[in-house]
Amino acid sequence: MYLKVQLNWNVVIPAENLDIKGLMLQKAILVRLLDDFAAKKATKDLGYLVAVTTLNKIGEGKVREHSGDVLFPVSFTCLSFKVFRGEVIEGVVHKILKHGVFMRCGPIENLYLSNQKMSDYQYQFADNPCFLSLKTGSRIEKDVTVRCIVIGVKYMEAQKEFQAVVGLEGDYLGPI
Amino acid sequence: MSAAGEEEENAADLKIGDEFLKAKCLMNCEVSLILERKYDQLQQIVFEKSLQYVKRFSRYKNPDAVRQVRELLSGYQLAEFELCVLGNLCPETVEEAIAMVPSIKSRGRVHDDEAIEKMLNDMSLIKKFE
Repeated sequence: MYLKVQLNWNVVIPAENLDIKGLMLQKAILVRLLDDFAAKKATKDLGYLVAVTTLNKIGEGKVREHSGDVLFPVSFTCLSFKVFRGEVIEGVVHKILKHGVFMRCGPIENLYLSNQKMSDYQYQFADNPCFLSLKTGSRIEKDVTVRCIVIGVKYMEAQKEFQAVVGLEGDYLGPI
Repeated sequence: MSAAGEEEENAADLKIGDEFLKAKCLMNCEVSLILERKYDQLQQIVFEKSLQYVKRFSRYKNPDAVRQVRELLSGYQLAEFELCVLGNLCPETVEEAIAMVPSIKSRGRVHDDEAIEKMLNDMSLIKKFE
């Protein structure tokens, strides 16, 4: 699910860059904000930080005593992405293994669908391996879109990545 | 996965934390329109993957249609989160809609099958005339 969120961050402009006027200063603050935003990448609460959409307000700068840098409080709006336990999502398969399948959804690279969570499907070994439903004949293979339900989500602070475990147990779930 | 002791997160019951119940959720097609306009911003992986994903999974491409869907769904008593799951998955039957967003049937809100069916029909009309 994509979210539109309003945030307030402090942007620090080094003393050397302050020798500029008006609009150039605003541009410097914006550029610094975008850099900080990109570097932050993700948080546990908001999910992946996707893009800044608007700059709402730049507050008054405060000089930091020892460095001479100036700190500007900036209010902005941005997009973020997060999945929730119980949410129904659509993912794209990118890897098939004997025990399950990995999918991508938005910026999440690893959604894991275990063979235990798709009991109607069986692994078929082949040049192009897949999971095949014996009942319906539908296949889960690379590049297929699968609608699934999120069973659990984990955020790894060090790598700034989310992982999730999904399942197909439920009506209307499965390959599209 | 989630820490023991926290009230269990469960989107099916709309238990997604207070912050997100009030947050503005966006459908993939809305995000697609926003990100396409920003393509010249810094190229980064999270942005790229998001753009690719929302373009592929947008049910509505025309900006007017996108707006119409948002307007249509806003007229029903839906949480932002529910609105967007419906707009993203575009269920075709009432049964499917309830399976995708079980919370629309809970919380004592009046969402009889007729109302849901009308909503889904209107959504597919918008798609037809997009």
